[in-house]
Amino acid sequence: MSAFDWNKVEVSGLSDYGLFSGKIADRLKEVKEASQAKEICPRVLCGLNNADRDHAYLDILKQDPAAVIDGILACAEALGAKETELYLPENESELAESLKGSLEEKGIALKTGIIDVREHADDFIIHIAGAADLASLLGGELPDGRFFKANGEIKRLDPSTPLKEVLDLSDAKAIWNGYTYLTLEEAEEVTVGDCPTGTALPVKKTQCIVEETKKALQEDRKISCGKCVFCREGLIQLEYEQNEITQGRGKTEFEDYAEEIGAAMHSQTLCSIGQKSGDAALSAFAKFSDEYDQHIKKNNCPAGVCTAFSHIYIDPMTCTGCGDCLDVCPVDAILGKPRYIHMIEDLDCTRCGKCLDVCEEDAIVRASGKLPKLPQRLVKVGKFKRH
Amino acid sequence: MVSITIDGTTLRVLEGKNVLECALDNDIYIPHLCHHKDLTPLGSCRMCIVEVDGEENPVPSCTLKAKEGLVIHTNTEKVQDLRRLALELLLTGHPEDCSTCPEYGHCELQMLIQYIGPKTGRLKMRNKGFEVNTKNPLIEQDMNRCILCGRCVRACHKLRGVGAIDYQKREDLEVYTGTVKNTLLKDADCRFCQACVEVCPTGTLRDKLMLAHPEKRKEEVVVPCRTACPAHTDIPRYIRFIKEGKYDEAAAVIREKLSFPKTLGYICTHACELECKRNCLNEAMSIRNLKRYAAEHDSGSYWKGKGKQLPDSGKKVCVVGAGPAGLTAAYYLRKQGHDVTVKEALPTAGGMLSYGIPSYRLPRELVQGEIQVFKDQGVKIETNSPVDKPVDLLKDYDAVLLAIGNHQGVRLPMPGSDLPGVLLNIDFLRKAAMGEETGLGKRVIVLGGGNVAFDCARTAKRLGAEEIHVACLEARDKMTSDEEEITQAQEEGIQVHPAQTFEAITGEDHVTGVDFMNVESFSFDENRRAIIKKEEGSEHHIDADTVIFATGQRCTLSPDAGLETGRANSVAVKDLTEDKSTSVEGVFAAGDCIYGTKSVVMAIESGREAASQIDRYLGGDGDIFEVLAPVETPSQWIGKEPGFADRKREEPEIDPAEKRQDNFNLFDHGLCDEAACREAGRCLQCDLRLGISKPRVWGDYAREV
Repeated sequence: MSAFDWNKVEVSGLSDYGLFSGKIADRLKEVKEASQAKEICPRVLCGLNNADRDHAYLDILKQDPAAVIDGILACAEALGAKETELYLPENESELAESLKGSLEEKGIALKTGIIDVREHADDFIIHIAGAADLASLLGGELPDGRFFKANGEIKRLDPSTPLKEVLDLSDAKAIWNGYTYLTLEEAEEVTVGDCPTGTALPVKKTQCIVEETKKALQEDRKISCGKCVFCREGLIQLEYEQNEITQGRGKTEFEDYAEEIGAAMHSQTLCSIGQKSGDAALSAFAKFSDEYDQHIKKNNCPAGVCTAFSHIYIDPMTCTGCGDCLDVCPVDAILGKPRYIHMIEDLDCTRCGKCLDVCEEDAIVRASGKLPKLPQRLVKVGKFKRH
Repeated sequence: MVSITIDGTTLRVLEGKNVLECALDNDIYIPHLCHHKDLTPLGSCRMCIVEVDGEENPVPSCTLKAKEGLVIHTNTEKVQDLRRLALELLLTGHPEDCSTCPEYGHCELQMLIQYIGPKTGRLKMRNKGFEVNTKNPLIEQDMNRCILCGRCVRACHKLRGVGAIDYQKREDLEVYTGTVKNTLLKDADCRFCQACVEVCPTGTLRDKLMLAHPEKRKEEVVVPCRTACPAHTDIPRYIRFIKEGKYDEAAAVIREKLSFPKTLGYICTHACELECKRNCLNEAMSIRNLKRYAAEHDSGSYWKGKGKQLPDSGKKVCVVGAGPAGLTAAYYLRKQGHDVTVKEALPTAGGMLSYGIPSYRLPRELVQGEIQVFKDQGVKIETNSPVDKPVDLLKDYDAVLLAIGNHQGVRLPMPGSDLPGVLLNIDFLRKAAMGEETGLGKRVIVLGGGNVAFDCARTAKRLGAEEIHVACLEARDKMTSDEEEITQAQEEGIQVHPAQTFEAITGEDHVTGVDFMNVESFSFDENRRAIIKKEEGSEHHIDADTVIFATGQRCTLSPDAGLETGRANSVAVKDLTEDKSTSVEGVFAAGDCIYGTKSVVMAIESGREAASQIDRYLGGDGDIFEVLAPVETPSQWIGKEPGFADRKREEPEIDPAEKRQDNFNLFDHGLCDEAACREAGRCLQCDLRLGISKPRVWGDYAREV
């Protein structure tokens, strides 16, 4: 393990990763002075940002755990800290298992979950990637570029690399940078360095923004500790709104409430979860108002995902009553008898589309919006009157 | 000290103190919910947010530290909007009906709503759907009303150092506070100190006993031992001293209220133990044995030669009767500076302590030792000095106190009640105490089911009776004697027959036995008359040569004493507690002789009240209160103890029946050293929560913004 060279770290201007990417040397000095003034011994904590659900940077721990460990111990030396902790998110038990031995050896406590920023207000927190870079720097040579994960692989890239060079945006309608949506126009300017979770994902045209936002909010609620009012209750309201919109019960006021709540979450919460998790809803509403309009006013999901809007029906003018669809429906949602027009029970239908594939007459249609007149009871083939 | 400005008002405050406290302490109200004076600030509810000059966004004032030149604004539009939104969000998960909540009228959330006036109806309301948790003793949890202020968690972890509850998440992601995996509180090592209930601002965490007794004052329900004790001894305080090994301090606390600490440690009827909240967990605290332990290990450093002693007043008081009531009154009257003489008819002082309670329960030397304390204070005791005409004493004394007790045994009117061989409780016990011939035979039946009946039975055993029966009207579970008396008596071979009516004492010129019938049911009507239903055909007989009536006692006051009498020949006083003056001015009465046979501790309290009232009559201020023990604020930190709720009650060392039943030696040796310390550690310390700061709401403040 390298000795702590303040000068080297300062001169290099090495900055941390994630949302709090100030210079590591500055932050170390700040904590050292504050702890000396209060006469307390700070701890060194290492982890991802609380709000980071992509876990891309964890690949560094998989590839080169020694670097992260060395980085943590270097910080401890700089501060004279006696306790060191590494935080892994929940559901990373395999990774935790693999690291247990080496962490124990070095006296670093392994913790699961988010970092309680209140409990650790006086401690020094460094990002996992930041610790790895620090170790490389002190060990001799800091390689160029910054960590970024694209196409399943973590590597070092020039932070000014435009995202469109690393992501396949062929089928995309937007980019998700870990916390916010970016439109394709914005994506022209966005670089690798603008992604605080170390990765970005294209949002395909076949994905529904509302549904994706709802899922993001649900995941945020799982990791939120629940202490701050705006984060805990705010997320409940935001998730509720997105859910209602996917169910066809969206209201135009939702966007106003979301703006109010989202703005409060930025400044009135204590950790990155509260500060960032509202941005999914805010950016979705702001940048995809068309898609929201379609859902709320036009009863339509452009991506065809929200089942409340898309329906599968059997064209009564074309159906021959052969019964092939009835046999293949996995939830028994189709009613009919031989030579009678078959009908799909909309409430039971899961929109799986198997009936569509099997109909030889192409009588089964997937559509949204207003549906044509359909039979309500059994009618013999050819006898259905549309008017 | 630094200067900060709040809404234009400049204040001088300690540097680093949180701004919310600065405001509240200077009578400026800033709304707050998760903040509590005794707890570390959390900054989660966002009610106390303020705008700071130089900062872009509002910050919670509870975590903002005062520094020189800080300028803050507590009620800007931005702050108001955010506050309203925060409250609105809190209310989305809170039940809308206040009226069904037990906290109605005291709820801090309710008061905040009145003050802030949030919008309603915009956001999605939800019912959290928690079942009210009543599975735990003492504490009820209704998480539907929880607003996640986190006070309970902070109180449990940081204030108390226990950590039984924490933030939890239900499967559907609803956040609440409780034990891990919803185990019972006792399995999470809860110490039932109820600090969480005390700090909860809403009706989420509730005190089950307070809910069951809305008519009682909070202090009565929260510290029931202290309330149940007739003298209101500060029990949690002295138990705490015992746990810390500070026996002198503990004994001093006891002495502030009780004049016979050792005696009570041996024989008190411990009303406190019956009300002890530990009963709700497993067994009550062994308070009497702890008191005995403290009194026996006391060196007197806090009270010997110390305590109140006013200068001589020039007034003289005569106390008739040297029992616990009389001696206690005498002691306190002497301390108020009066010249006190106690006239006792019997050869030694003590009353029932020397002539009623047998020496195997209460050693004679011990009683005399406690009485010596009064003599050392200057009380004069004249034994062998009966008083026939108490009113005549007023010629030589400025006031007279009658504390003659109830020394006349009741002989039930029934066939054979006058036969030779029939003895009365009081006479029998007195003669036994004085070593005189009692007239006891070999086969004894004691009629009665109280402690006195068992004193008679067990004394008879020790005097050589061969066959002893105790028969009473009450059913086994309604017998008024202590459980341990009955058990110990049975161990000594005494037969107990509950639910019997006494039909007749048989015999011609001497007792030959008693006829009984079984009782089917027994109750009192509205006029306190007994209604007894006997079992058909259940007549039976028990042979005996001695019958002892232990069916009550009366006062021996004679009709020509010149005093009005009350029920059952008691001395009539104007009010049993507030005004013990009799029908003759200057003559007062206290103890059993005014309210019937009760307990030693009640007699002591009666004596104290009498001393105060007589002192006032004689021109004093009537204040006999004194501080003997060091006044310390107990620490709110109690620490975690695994398995605390299941710790069993320590039992004293008691000689087995074969060893104790043929002599009058003391057989109950009390708690040993380790047992006393362990037992003291079982206390829930119910009084600690009364030391937690009270909530402060906007109505308390002169200046609100």
